[in-house]
Amino acid sequence: MMSPMTEPRRHFQQQLSELEASALGGLDLVLGQLDRALEALEHQDVELAQFVIADDDRLDGRYLEVHQGILSLLALQSPVAGDLRLVAALLHLIKHVERMGDQCVNIAKLIPLTGHEPPVREEILKKIVQMGRSARAEVVQCKRAFADRDVAMAEDLIARDRDVNLLNREIFRMAVEVGDDLDTREWAMTMILVARALERVGDNAVDIGEQTAFVVTGLFREFSDASNSGQR
Amino acid sequence: MSSAKSVEVSDLDLYYGSFHAVQNVNMTIQPNKVTALIGSSGCGKSTFLRSLNRMHELVHGARVEGSVILEGQDIYAPDVDPVAVRSQVGMVFQQPNPFPTMSIYENVAAGLRLNSRRMKKPAMDEIVERSLRGANLWEEVKNRLERAGSGLSGGQQQRLCIARAIAVEPEVLLMDEPCSALDPVATLAIEELIRELKVNYTIVIVTHNMQQASRASDITGFFNLEESGKPGRLVEIDETETIFSNPANKATEDYVTGRFG
Amino acid sequence: MSTASVASSARAPITHDSLPAWGPWAVVGGVLLAAVALGSATEVALGVLLLLGVVLSVGVVYVWSRAVEGSRRAKDRSVTIAVTASFLLAIAPLVSVLYTVLSRGLARFDAPFFTETARNVVGEGGGASHAIVGTLVITGVATLASVPIGIMAAIYLHEYGSGRLKKALTFFVDVMTGIPSIVAGLFAVALFVLFFGPGIRLGVMGAVALSVLMIPIVVRSTEEMLKIVPDGLREASYALGVPKWRTIVKVVLPTALAGIITGVMVAVARVIGETAPLLITTGVFSSMNSNPFDGRMSNLPVFAFNQYKFPGAIPEPYIDRAWAAALTLIVIVMTLSLAARLIYRRFGTDIR
Repeated sequence: MMSPMTEPRRHFQQQLSELEASALGGLDLVLGQLDRALEALEHQDVELAQFVIADDDRLDGRYLEVHQGILSLLALQSPVAGDLRLVAALLHLIKHVERMGDQCVNIAKLIPLTGHEPPVREEILKKIVQMGRSARAEVVQCKRAFADRDVAMAEDLIARDRDVNLLNREIFRMAVEVGDDLDTREWAMTMILVARALERVGDNAVDIGEQTAFVVTGLFREFSDASNSGQR
Repeated sequence: MSSAKSVEVSDLDLYYGSFHAVQNVNMTIQPNKVTALIGSSGCGKSTFLRSLNRMHELVHGARVEGSVILEGQDIYAPDVDPVAVRSQVGMVFQQPNPFPTMSIYENVAAGLRLNSRRMKKPAMDEIVERSLRGANLWEEVKNRLERAGSGLSGGQQQRLCIARAIAVEPEVLLMDEPCSALDPVATLAIEELIRELKVNYTIVIVTHNMQQASRASDITGFFNLEESGKPGRLVEIDETETIFSNPANKATEDYVTGRFG
Repeated sequence: MSTASVASSARAPITHDSLPAWGPWAVVGGVLLAAVALGSATEVALGVLLLLGVVLSVGVVYVWSRAVEGSRRAKDRSVTIAVTASFLLAIAPLVSVLYTVLSRGLARFDAPFFTETARNVVGEGGGASHAIVGTLVITGVATLASVPIGIMAAIYLHEYGSGRLKKALTFFVDVMTGIPSIVAGLFAVALFVLFFGPGIRLGVMGAVALSVLMIPIVVRSTEEMLKIVPDGLREASYALGVPKWRTIVKVVLPTALAGIITGVMVAVARVIGETAPLLITTGVFSSMNSNPFDGRMSNLPVFAFNQYKFPGAIPEPYIDRAWAAALTLIVIVMTLSLAARLIYRRFGTDIR
């Protein structure tokens, strides 16, 4: 009766793993959006920024698709135990995916505001690019942690996020001290908003890490000080 | 009204002749709670349930080792009368089984009458009404108490059997797959009734329907056998919510998520 | 493989040709009429011809149906005819017996037959009231003795018995079911001779002989009825804290009652026509005696036997009385069966 070949809910298991793949695929879309938003920022490429904004529809579409899939699984298959936790976590995960996408759009929308030839301070831009890379690494890591159900890797996200938060504060301080030039100050203020968007992306990645731990252990706990350190 | 009691099961082993059916069960069945026993067919959960009021002894060659303590008294102590145990631990069966020769009224009164307790008509009337009300059946049958119990629908018959069981005021009520012969609406009615009954009784229910266990019970115990031929064991028992959201044991997880039958 | 290809190539259409509804009947009717005609024209026995006719019509219907409808329906039709014919063959003796007994027994099925005895009757007239009373008394006593014993034995075997003793008892009950009735009669004679000396003839001796025959039947039929009382009812009763003996008396027996009564009726019908054991136990007597403990006692089977075996100078009145006695027996058995049916209808319990 316990022979491994009998798996009475094979169809359901397949649906569930397809749903997970689809939701985690959303993180790949986020990575693409993030890369292009950062590139547009670096090169003041307004056209590329427009693409980022337009492509957010794909992420929103993915959100609706996964959400619908989760609803039908709940309605038709009554998942329990580990399956139930996975379904619940996916519901969270896809929402975080959608929010990360929105942050990329926020960054893209800020690019045209700074004008055609903004007074760029290289040291601030360098920090922004560094922060973008860190946030990107967090997204990659949270995806792998979730897919592998790797709690240790998920918990490691806190350390990564701490770096991002530190960069965020640093950029804030540098922007405040940027000087009296009005245009430069306006550009620097915009960079604060970009940094904040990147910081939010990192927070969402940590949240996905929390969901990973929930799927594995069944216990939900907020990862240490991830959410209250840094500016919110 | 009767008072619900807890049942303490320690190191219980059950045998049919030389066949070891259930191995080393330890559990505390809590008063005023619904305890559901789940597990695949042949894992010994029904056998175990029957050992709680010594009904298994009706099968030739069945014997038990260990103790089942009902409010301080081991029901397997040598001086205990199994008949007396059963009047304290009632039972409802898979197939609704009202006595076919008796009317609805007589069915409910059967437990008292068959034990030849002499009772005045008004007192008996009161018990019958209270039991039928307790089983949510009074309104449906109050005008046809003299009709045959077998004329009722399956769900009504099962509620009649519950009324019959609670008429003798047991402390514990055992239910062996009480809904498996019923349609979904009747099933939900019984489940609702089980929730109401736990106010006065300690209830243990064996079910194959995991949704039923998750809907109707407070505590869920999972029985399993490692392989066929080996005795069944109690793998895990915990709050129903825990069993169905975050069971501790891998076998429990596999069973409730349907990864094996 | 796609469903389309299966449907287009291998699937038979769901419509088909069929024989006209009157077809098979016409064949059977025609063949049998021909058989009857042939039988009246020639010396060959009608029964043989009818049998051959049935075989022939089975063949004809098969061939015809196969040509029109295919082999599956052809088999179905020919088997239907064969089975129906077998049934008719089986009830033919019954109908024949009933017809013969009715036609020949009605001659003396009159009021004097039921009011007068055969005392001092030579030739025509007289009656069998003494034999009717005797049959009712002897069978009644036998029933009174065997029903409680039989039912209690069955309760023991089904509800209590276990192991070797039960197996041995079941075996002996089976053996008793099969003993020839004359052996039961000899047993009763031997038993009473032990106490009263040779030559003893009593009504109660017949009753004892009949009891020996009845008990195993009652045990068997009661056991069967107890078997079909669902275990669920016993369990329900035990689960209410009812002791075993009360469960049997108040739940099991009432549930099985209608069936047990039917079984008893069958047993009565089985023994009421017994002749041999009564012939040697109750003796032959032509006067009224309703006391089974006082001397010889007449009864219908022995009366019929005697009238037939020892007719007077003019045999017809004797033969007529024998047939009337046989008819009376059949009426009594039928009345009992009918009563059993009514009891079953009235008090019968549907046992699932």
